[in-house]
Amino acid sequence: MAAAASSSSTESPKTTTERRGIPGAQFVEDVETYLSQTALDVNSTLAFLQERLQQYKLVEMKLLAQQRGLQAKIPDIEKCLDVVVTLQAEKGTGEAFIADFEVSEGIYSRARIEDNDSVCLWLGANVMLEYSCEEATSLLKKNSENAKASLEVLIADLQFLRDQVTITQVTIARVYNWDVHQRRIRQTATSSATKDS
Amino acid sequence: MQQGTGASETEVTWEDQQNINKFGRLNNRFHELEDEIKFAKEAIDNLEDASNELILTDEEVVRFQIGEVFAHVPKEEVETRIEEMKEVSSNNLEKLEEEKESVVAQMAELKKVLYGKFKDSINLEED
Repeated sequence: MAAAASSSSTESPKTTTERRGIPGAQFVEDVETYLSQTALDVNSTLAFLQERLQQYKLVEMKLLAQQRGLQAKIPDIEKCLDVVVTLQAEKGTGEAFIADFEVSEGIYSRARIEDNDSVCLWLGANVMLEYSCEEATSLLKKNSENAKASLEVLIADLQFLRDQVTITQVTIARVYNWDVHQRRIRQTATSSATKDS
Repeated sequence: MQQGTGASETEVTWEDQQNINKFGRLNNRFHELEDEIKFAKEAIDNLEDASNELILTDEEVVRFQIGEVFAHVPKEEVETRIEEMKEVSSNNLEKLEEEKESVVAQMAELKKVLYGKFKDSINLEED
């Protein structure tokens, strides 16, 4: 069966290799060959393809959640970077920097920030570290770069995934239509046979 | 957008599949762009309102939001900053609109190709 499949170029299936754990959907050139290759009947094939589709949907949910997380994180990092850059700028002027901080909903407190060389960055997990302004700027910039790079990879993953979903949906439709077509042929064959006999 | 192949016997080649995939991707990007354009327009409106308020106020020091805090910044500097932000936002909006036009054009091309081959067997409209 494998030899027959690889002999003719029209029957070689196009498989996009998997990407970071997501299996590629096999593109079916010819439905009949595909069915004989997998040696499954139509219903099992349809069930298999539907299951694949569900798996893809699950992975898509997961990736979309990750994407939303990153899209929330990046503006946060940018905001921190803004504050640090502003503090650095004010350093040169020698004037104190006055700012209003939100202490609670609707309640703000004024703070006077004198000239200083270091800032404390909240790293998460109840940890806050003191950095010099330059170190803080470079750390925040690096985090921002990493987050943006991860986001790009994630978006590419999602595009790949959506392509596989589309291929699987089209394959399901074609297998189903092929089955309908076969039934129709068999029906006309049996009805003409009964007419003849 | 849904894809459905009817009962006809037109075969789907790898090239057709790639066109369908590309159309799906463009359609997704189109919706994302519409959302992004909406946000960009809102941001520009907010900046407009802010600069109008600024003209009306007679305070010398304005509380300008940087990150999570409101810094006391002299009025002129705030004006400059808002102008810069408006510049950035409207450039961004322009780029988004351009990308949207390109996406729409590509989708129209693909529609022609796919409808040409599959006619009624395929549906590429928004539902």
